[in-house]
Amino acid sequence: MFRRNVSPVLSRLLLAALIGFTVSPCSAAQGGGHVPAEHVPYSRALRASGPALPRDAVIPQIVKDDLGRPFPLPARTPERIVSMAPNITEILFALGLGGRVVGVTRFCDWPSEAKAIPKIGGLIDPNIEVIRSLDPDLVIAFRGNPLRLVDRVRKLGLPVFVLDIGEGLDELFPLIVKIGRVTRTEGRAAELVAGLQSRVAAVDARLRGALSRPKVFALLYGQGLWTCGGESYLDDIIARAGGVNVASSLPKKWALYKRERIIKDDPDVIFVLARSEADFASGRGRLARTPGVDGVAAVRTGRIFELDENAASRFGPRLIDVLVRMAALLHPDELGGRT
Amino acid sequence: MSRKAGRRLFWAVSLFLCLAGFSLSILTGPVRTTPGDLIGFIKAPDRVLSAIFIDLRLSRAVLAFLVGAALALSGAILQGYFRNPMADPFVVGVSSGAALGAVVAAAIGFEAAAFGFSGPGLLAFLSGLGIVSLVYVLSLRRGGFKVETILLTGIAAGALASALTSFFLFMRSDSYDQAVFWLLGSFQLAEWGQAATIAPWVVLCLLASVWLARDMDLLALGDESAQALGSPVRRVRKAFLAMSALLAALSVAVSGIIGFVGLVVPHWVRILIGPGHRALFLSSALAGGTFLLYCDLLARTLLPAELPIGVITAAVGAPFFLYLLHKKR
Repeated sequence: MFRRNVSPVLSRLLLAALIGFTVSPCSAAQGGGHVPAEHVPYSRALRASGPALPRDAVIPQIVKDDLGRPFPLPARTPERIVSMAPNITEILFALGLGGRVVGVTRFCDWPSEAKAIPKIGGLIDPNIEVIRSLDPDLVIAFRGNPLRLVDRVRKLGLPVFVLDIGEGLDELFPLIVKIGRVTRTEGRAAELVAGLQSRVAAVDARLRGALSRPKVFALLYGQGLWTCGGESYLDDIIARAGGVNVASSLPKKWALYKRERIIKDDPDVIFVLARSEADFASGRGRLARTPGVDGVAAVRTGRIFELDENAASRFGPRLIDVLVRMAALLHPDELGGRT
Repeated sequence: MSRKAGRRLFWAVSLFLCLAGFSLSILTGPVRTTPGDLIGFIKAPDRVLSAIFIDLRLSRAVLAFLVGAALALSGAILQGYFRNPMADPFVVGVSSGAALGAVVAAAIGFEAAAFGFSGPGLLAFLSGLGIVSLVYVLSLRRGGFKVETILLTGIAAGALASALTSFFLFMRSDSYDQAVFWLLGSFQLAEWGQAATIAPWVVLCLLASVWLARDMDLLALGDESAQALGSPVRRVRKAFLAMSALLAALSVAVSGIIGFVGLVVPHWVRILIGPGHRALFLSSALAGGTFLLYCDLLARTLLPAELPIGVITAAVGAPFFLYLLHKKR
């Protein structure tokens, strides 16, 4: 008797609970959860940074990272920095902060001192526990790190600054300035940027008189004809070096190119992005043996050159080296002897 | 061995394994820690160790246990509900529906987090429940309420949701990493907020299902017989369906789809302690939680990078299940 009376009540209660639960997250999503980052109150942004703030800090200045999230600037240069991408590691070293970097990814192999620093995992599989154990006072993440992992690190109370890479060479300089800002090495960042910019300006000046714009195909060494499309910074570097990327019309960062299109485009110069001399030799050999491709101008005239994949694939200071080398190879008359 | 003694043994072993699993989970991880570190930490808490032991490892172990319990209980309920040993949260479409929600959220960049759920988790939860409601309504309209109809409708709706999921994955191939997380499950992002969100519902559903267990036993005789014996069949069925859907949707929302637990754990338990639903529900929850605790331990220690937990549950669960099945014969 008792059971028979209770069951319907219970089932109704459960259903009601179910409905209530289904509805409430909706309203919360519209109300609380959707606050855009720029509307986060000042005080809350401060509190969010919690234990990361040095105790003697005055009210810190708030900057925004590339996700638009507020980040309180530390009062002085952080002592224990974790870098979650190779290009960030490289810039940190270029700013003279190598000694303060306590964690890097397993891909961070430049400069070679970075290899000795404890590894936090890879770009898409950084280990949260390892990052926490390094007890950093600054974590610099990259947009390519899975956001959910980056957010999990932030929720542990660590100060996380997220940076994006750019689609063009000009975006490298603000990136360096931002890293300089957040590590309080603004002066050194300005010097570094000025130095790099003067080298770019020198290339620009030498190329002003160039008459030709050679057609360029950039091959990423490996399986298939992978190349850089119009959205990649390499496309911009090719243009700045006085060339025309034949794959420029592809609206992608990296794209698989069709063999027929290379034959039709008939590039004057082919750059092979290789990790080693041997890779370059085998990549060049493969191009020369590919039916059809063996007839394009670059192969016939032997203008196939190696580019350091390690430098070219990282949005860091070494891109200027890549630019200078590329310009010298594309325009030997204007930039002769400057490789 | 008498059934009662067998049950006691089962409970003793399960509880021991469960506690051992929690201890191992707290002590194991990429950062090397010893039991001495843990004792030292309890005596004098330290910021870094507190984050590692409590915020990362313990929260993860608790969440894995809760999800395992929820999935196994959901499976035990559905197998009784459909009087079909093949039933699990997949057949009524909850899992596929939830996966669709998560993948769509990842594809459109839906980030509105609430209640410890991430944006995709929230959408997974809603679409999981949505698809069950749809299946239920569709099944009702075909004249009365038939178990076969809901089963087939559920399978069809699940297949449709899976097709849409594949479509979104195809369209947004750059969300692949997110998709793997949702389609194969992981506790990598576990945090206390999620555990606190699902814990009350898991406990509530467990208590309610134990309370209604006798009605579930009667359902095994057929709906007419159960009705004749005084069980309010339709209401009982509604309550059980709602509970199993809620449990499965909550699980997917925090950890992605984790297959096999809901299907196999109730069978293990049935083989070991018999078919009575009261004991079955309680034991399935304990065994499911413990099982997933160990699976997660393997998922995060087997390789330097984390494996999706769905890979482990099937790889470990299937052989053990076959062994039990054949030993029984």
